[in-house]
Amino acid sequence: MPDWVDPVAHYMLHEGLKATLRIAVFALIGSTVIGILVGTLMTIRFRPLQALLRLYVEVWRGLPIIVTIFLVYYALPTTPYIHHRFGAFAGAAIGLSLWGSAQVAEATRGAVQSIPHEQHEAAAALGFGWLGRHVSVILPQAMRRLLPPLVSLLANVIQNTTIASLIGVTELLATGQRSIERLQFEAGADSHAFAIYGAVMVAFFCISFPVTRLAIFLERRLV
Amino acid sequence: MTLLASFDWQFIWDHLPDFWQGLKATLKVAAIGIAGSLVIGIVLGAARAHKLPVVSPLAAVYVEVFRNTPILVQIFFIAGALPHLPGHPIRLDPFTIGWLSVMVWGGAYNTENFRAAFEAVPYRYREAGLALGFSRLATFFNVTLPIGARIALPSSINTYVSVLKNTSLLTAIGFAELTNTAYSLESESFKPTEVYVTLGAIYLVVVWTLSALMRVVEWRLSIPESR
Repeated sequence: MPDWVDPVAHYMLHEGLKATLRIAVFALIGSTVIGILVGTLMTIRFRPLQALLRLYVEVWRGLPIIVTIFLVYYALPTTPYIHHRFGAFAGAAIGLSLWGSAQVAEATRGAVQSIPHEQHEAAAALGFGWLGRHVSVILPQAMRRLLPPLVSLLANVIQNTTIASLIGVTELLATGQRSIERLQFEAGADSHAFAIYGAVMVAFFCISFPVTRLAIFLERRLV
Repeated sequence: MTLLASFDWQFIWDHLPDFWQGLKATLKVAAIGIAGSLVIGIVLGAARAHKLPVVSPLAAVYVEVFRNTPILVQIFFIAGALPHLPGHPIRLDPFTIGWLSVMVWGGAYNTENFRAAFEAVPYRYREAGLALGFSRLATFFNVTLPIGARIALPSSINTYVSVLKNTSLLTAIGFAELTNTAYSLESESFKPTEVYVTLGAIYLVVVWTLSALMRVVEWRLSIPESR
């Protein structure tokens, strides 16, 4: 193997891949928690609340993720009363969570509504309140239907972490690009761009492919 | 509301023509990408569903590669790696990179949409076509395609909307579409809130309008009995 490979691979794996996975984990947790909450609340028959939550879902589903991240990272700090500047890492994780939570909310709403009404009534008859009924009876059953979309969301979240490179997070794609620039600067003509971009593709494929397979498998088994 | 009250509305008004220029570029690239991904979806989806030798396995590889790698990496690969292709460098202008990358990405998703839809067309319908003396190709165009395309419509609509949204990533290679226009406007005016809230509002209007139009098409095309 040529000697330029070793330091580049080390940098991309130890710095880039780690950051990619860290953003993905934060964004997945954020999306799931907010999404399940919003999606469950969407099943309450109270018009103003429904309209508000529908707006939340349609806005974050309608905006390109890069625009959401720009809003969180660039626009929010200059907004009156907020003035809070997130770091690039947090900005990307929050932006991805807003987008992901809208996806999870839609899936949760469908899953909760697919649970037969008798389950609600039976839980209510046993003395469960709204919260207890959903946490202990409805959501555990809805999880079965929710798991496949959550797994395919994971694959999408991992892929979309690359957008964080556009606000300066050194995740996998950004470390690859920096390596290309450095090699170009050092060696002149040959930047090994083809090999490095190819490696980034292969790396994402190796992570994403098993996850999408798992989603398809769960879809067949559970739904 | 305080947010809107604190806005420099004059600034937004003055720069609406810039946003319009960017929007035109976005819509142009998206239109080519959507049309192309429709054609790719029907052709390769049919090849997959009918298990055409050679074409079907190649299409399967194409679908898996493009669905399992980030579109931003695909864009950079076309823009940054192909010019360094050993032995045969390929250099494309940003506009070509733009429509090509969103088209190929959308085509991969659409191939899967149409494959599933064509496979969902009941076999007895195709049998009926063949029994009436239609050739296999004629059966496809007169039976499988009209029914399958309707089944594919809801999932392919999502793909078309995603194609439109993904054109925003072309800002990364400096193609002057809507997001890129806003980005340059922000870096010369230092008014990020005005610029990005306007940008978001434009995207929402365009995306919601496109989705609504697609639903109308879906409803118009739906088989009357199934309404």
